[in-house]
Amino acid sequence: MKQIALYGKGGIGKSTTAANLSAALAEEGLDILQIGCDPKHDSTRMLMHGTWIPTVLDLIRERGDENITVDDVVYQGFRGVRCVEAGGPEPGIGCAGRGIIATFQLLERLDALKGDVIVYDVLGDVVCGGFAMPMREGYAQEIYLVTSGELMSIYAANNIAKAIARLSRRARSRCTLGGVICNAKNIEGERDLVAEFARRINSRLIAYIPRSRDVQVAELHRQTVVEYAPESDQAAVYRELGRTVYGNQKTSIPTPLEMDELESFAFEFVQV
Amino acid sequence: MNSNPSPLNSSRFEGCTLTGALSVLTEVRDAVCIIHGPAGCAHHNFSLLHATLLSNDRLEVPLLLSTRLTENDIIFGGEEALETTIARALSLSPTPASIFVLSTCIVETIGDDTEAVCAKPRGVPVIAVPTAGFLGGVFETGIKGALLAVASLARPETAEPTLSANLVGEKNLEYGVDENAAEIARLLGRLGIGINLRFVRGISTRDLERLGSATVNILREPALQPVGEDLRRRFGTPYVDSFPAGLSGTCRFLEEVGRISGIDASDAVEEERAYQKAMLEGFCDMAGSRVCFQTAHPMLGADPAAEAVCTECARALDLTVAPDGVLVPFPYPAPVGTAGLRRMLHRWRLLVRG
Repeated sequence: MKQIALYGKGGIGKSTTAANLSAALAEEGLDILQIGCDPKHDSTRMLMHGTWIPTVLDLIRERGDENITVDDVVYQGFRGVRCVEAGGPEPGIGCAGRGIIATFQLLERLDALKGDVIVYDVLGDVVCGGFAMPMREGYAQEIYLVTSGELMSIYAANNIAKAIARLSRRARSRCTLGGVICNAKNIEGERDLVAEFARRINSRLIAYIPRSRDVQVAELHRQTVVEYAPESDQAAVYRELGRTVYGNQKTSIPTPLEMDELESFAFEFVQV
Repeated sequence: MNSNPSPLNSSRFEGCTLTGALSVLTEVRDAVCIIHGPAGCAHHNFSLLHATLLSNDRLEVPLLLSTRLTENDIIFGGEEALETTIARALSLSPTPASIFVLSTCIVETIGDDTEAVCAKPRGVPVIAVPTAGFLGGVFETGIKGALLAVASLARPETAEPTLSANLVGEKNLEYGVDENAAEIARLLGRLGIGINLRFVRGISTRDLERLGSATVNILREPALQPVGEDLRRRFGTPYVDSFPAGLSGTCRFLEEVGRISGIDASDAVEEERAYQKAMLEGFCDMAGSRVCFQTAHPMLGADPAAEAVCTECARALDLTVAPDGVLVPFPYPAPVGTAGLRRMLHRWRLLVRG
């Protein structure tokens, strides 16, 4: 079983990438479990054709965690992709990070964490220990950083690299960086910039996903690109991403950049 | 009355803001205290307060309720549990005259807005005490916060205050708390000043109306100066910043209270000196003994006032302080007034006699 997690700045396209990755892998006949770890709970929506599935934390809140079965939390989407949404408290109250921990404990107890590939789609910033949960022992062993060429996005990716580096120092940790995925914003020289960033943090650019109108159109139809436009170039890109990630044997411990390194890196690449 | 002077008791003066605050708030005897947090936070404090009450021969039970938060409350927020618990407190019989709500580490961490929940009008004052567990400071911070919270229930005095004193921030967990209060009452009696209010010990919510009618506030220790300042701002009451320690310290205390109250204290001081002299004569059999002062226990710090008090007493009794003397522990906290010294000297004599 391969367990991977996608991390990156909010709004960078993690969920779109994750859903299309899951869809592409499912087309190959693999058993996929995608777990959305974001209180917004919209990670699996395109796989579920627009349905908002009940979140684990909504169920815990309504019923308590004693009376929940696997069928209550796992929903079959496109090509049998099994979808779970962690959910979270109402915005501005409680502790979403602790919610992620409780979700993992429940999924563990329900023996729901299985399949050929588990894809964890985690919210933008690793704001507390709870959101680092998927990186901890026993869960995702390969982290993929999703970023565009925008500096804020690279900055967020660098921060997550820090978390990976810290966690990988722990004796029993198996968490490593699988690679960097460039989800392009059509910035000039974007591919080179992200590739160079990946190299500098001791990783590599594993996929370049060009910006495509197909993504928006597919989303309007509440589907992944892989499902809505299976013949499109963009679908081919996601299938290629799936093959690369599934076959990826080369992971690394990242060496995140210091703030001044990040700034001088920016000056090298951005035309001013 | 618990007269065990074991130095281990002094651990009571450190620790969690909750314990400090509750040592004050549970002495408003018709109030209920709600601890907004896991059940364990209430349990520890209940046990400590209950044991302390029992050792002071008080067969009361501290009125504590817990919101009994569980993991789900932490994830989704604990404000609802607080609402429910406040309602439960209000449904108790007899209805509490006031309710104090204390926050713990975890609710402060997840950002529950305790104050907003408390602010809803309910007919009975519900006061948020910003304890916040360890995030709010230590035991002492808890005491200060609680005193200020209780003071918020008192209305500024409109009538002219009458010659009297408040005792502010008595250490309700110390074994000699009532003896110490009695000693202050005795000393103030020399100046014709009575006790207006023990703020806060064994009082009712209603008693707090009197808080502003004293002419002087006597703080238990200098660390309470921010409370003294607050009371001065709100009620115009001047304060003395500490209970007296030592022979000369006790006389200076009389002078200071006299000065603040516009009373000539010279007769009172004269009488007290004579009283001290008579007290010391009771211990004249120890004259010439060799003693060596040391901290009560390597794990404990000394009360900074204790060394001066001991040295002064040793000189007055003609004792020799030398490294080869009988080991005598510094008292913690420093003894209050002349009566406190007398109790300390009784212990010295036991040690010196062997």
